[in-house]
Amino acid sequence: MWIFEYRELIKILTISDLKVKYQSSVLGFAWSLLNPLLMMLVLYLVFSNVFNANQDNFALYLLIGIVSWRFMAIGSSAAMGAIVGKPSLVNKIYIPRQVLVTSVVLSNLISSILEFLVLVPLLIILGAGISPYILLFPFIHMIYFLIVYGISLILAALYVYYRDLNQIWDVLIQIGFFLSPIVYPLSTVPPKYLDYYMLNPMTALIQMYRDVLLYHQLPAPQDVAVTIAAGLFIMVAGTLVFKKLERRFAEEI
Amino acid sequence: MSLPLAEINKGLDKLNLVKGGIGRGTNGNAIVVEGISKNFRIPKEKKLTVFEHLAGLVGRGTSSYDEFMALQDVSFAVKHGETFGVIGPNGCGKSTLLKVLAGVLYPDSGRVEINGKIAPFLELGVGFQPELSARDNVYLYGAIMGLTHKEVDQRYDEIMEFSELQRFENMKLRNFSSGMYVRLAFATAIQTNPDVILVDEVLSVGDESFQKKCSDKIDEIRKAGKTILLVSHSLATVRSLCSRCMLMNRGQVVALGETGGVLAEYERMRGAGT
Repeated sequence: MWIFEYRELIKILTISDLKVKYQSSVLGFAWSLLNPLLMMLVLYLVFSNVFNANQDNFALYLLIGIVSWRFMAIGSSAAMGAIVGKPSLVNKIYIPRQVLVTSVVLSNLISSILEFLVLVPLLIILGAGISPYILLFPFIHMIYFLIVYGISLILAALYVYYRDLNQIWDVLIQIGFFLSPIVYPLSTVPPKYLDYYMLNPMTALIQMYRDVLLYHQLPAPQDVAVTIAAGLFIMVAGTLVFKKLERRFAEEI
Repeated sequence: MSLPLAEINKGLDKLNLVKGGIGRGTNGNAIVVEGISKNFRIPKEKKLTVFEHLAGLVGRGTSSYDEFMALQDVSFAVKHGETFGVIGPNGCGKSTLLKVLAGVLYPDSGRVEINGKIAPFLELGVGFQPELSARDNVYLYGAIMGLTHKEVDQRYDEIMEFSELQRFENMKLRNFSSGMYVRLAFATAIQTNPDVILVDEVLSVGDESFQKKCSDKIDEIRKAGKTILLVSHSLATVRSLCSRCMLMNRGQVVALGETGGVLAEYERMRGAGT
């Protein structure tokens, strides 16, 4: 199994990816925390007047949405360049190419976990408190990892052939941000669209994070089912697409 | 059930190493290549974006690329412990063949079977990072070759000794000369303990004494019963090292057999000016 055989390379590449990310700016890791906080502040000022009628703790509601969305937005965009960014490891030597995508997604997974860790003291400070349900977080995050990893495999493979995919994906990520319940409550979605709206696995995922972190309750069973099914499906689809497109990487890169 | 099997395999690997790496394949062949073809598509205009592909669909429906057959129905087998040479003029498909064997390129048709751990020496130092120290790069390169941290630990001293770079182990690689760079890469790559080695003219690295050291090392590996596939322009090297070799031209196998006969065929081909 490649993932076991090349675990050392995955480890080294993941760590060096993290180093590059956090050392290249003066504030380093602090930026990755300031960014969602500032964004939360802006969105809070803008949207609290619009939606806050039935929403307790709107600041935390926003923050959980933003922090969870960031793994998808940043992780998938970074992973898209994983193959193209390391041409010599693709066309000069053999390594399983999934290694390159895996290490970028893993480094973004670690960033995401760190951001969630910073969220914990904010939960207490802003009055939501914490409950034992927070122990379900690793489980939810693992499902999320499958979704991001599967999408990343597809994007990284397609990007070798279509170099304007990053522009297209940027737009899709923007659209996804507003099609997921990040800045507004789910209750504002018109009921006639709700069935279609719930097809977006990110909706269920973000709801689950809010359940265990903010509302102190078990995630809804249908949310769990939808995200697990989506995670497995995307993961399998990603692996198949990657396997197929990988065959001509060395020629196209 | 798979775990004990993996353990047994591991045990077998160790046994093989002791015996000099011979075995694993039941048929005694280290490399089996059956009828592989590789067709490169060279686009008349390179389409790299979704936009260009969409524009192409609207336009004429003719094929917009030329085809280039880099390999046509190539078949051969290399026995365990054999040193096998591949010769031919530039552009005959030697490098494509090596890349297919290494797993970098996929053949369009045909089958490649490699029995044992393979170490391609196509280009040395791939993946080296200039901003890291020599030490870190040895670990990185080892990982690229599929070694674990522990395995590199065990071999680290030997690697540094072979490359004669102990004094520089904490120096950043960007301060290295190209000779030092290649020495470090060769020393690391050779420590992966491969059963099958693919060599693409990299024997000519470093100064004369290091070249000697490398060819001695290759010799040692050869005597230990490892399989070597050597691609070279130097007929003298092929003559002295290889018992059998293969002559290629325009992606096809022209001659295959005892080195003497194949080299004579090559001389004749060059004489004829094709």
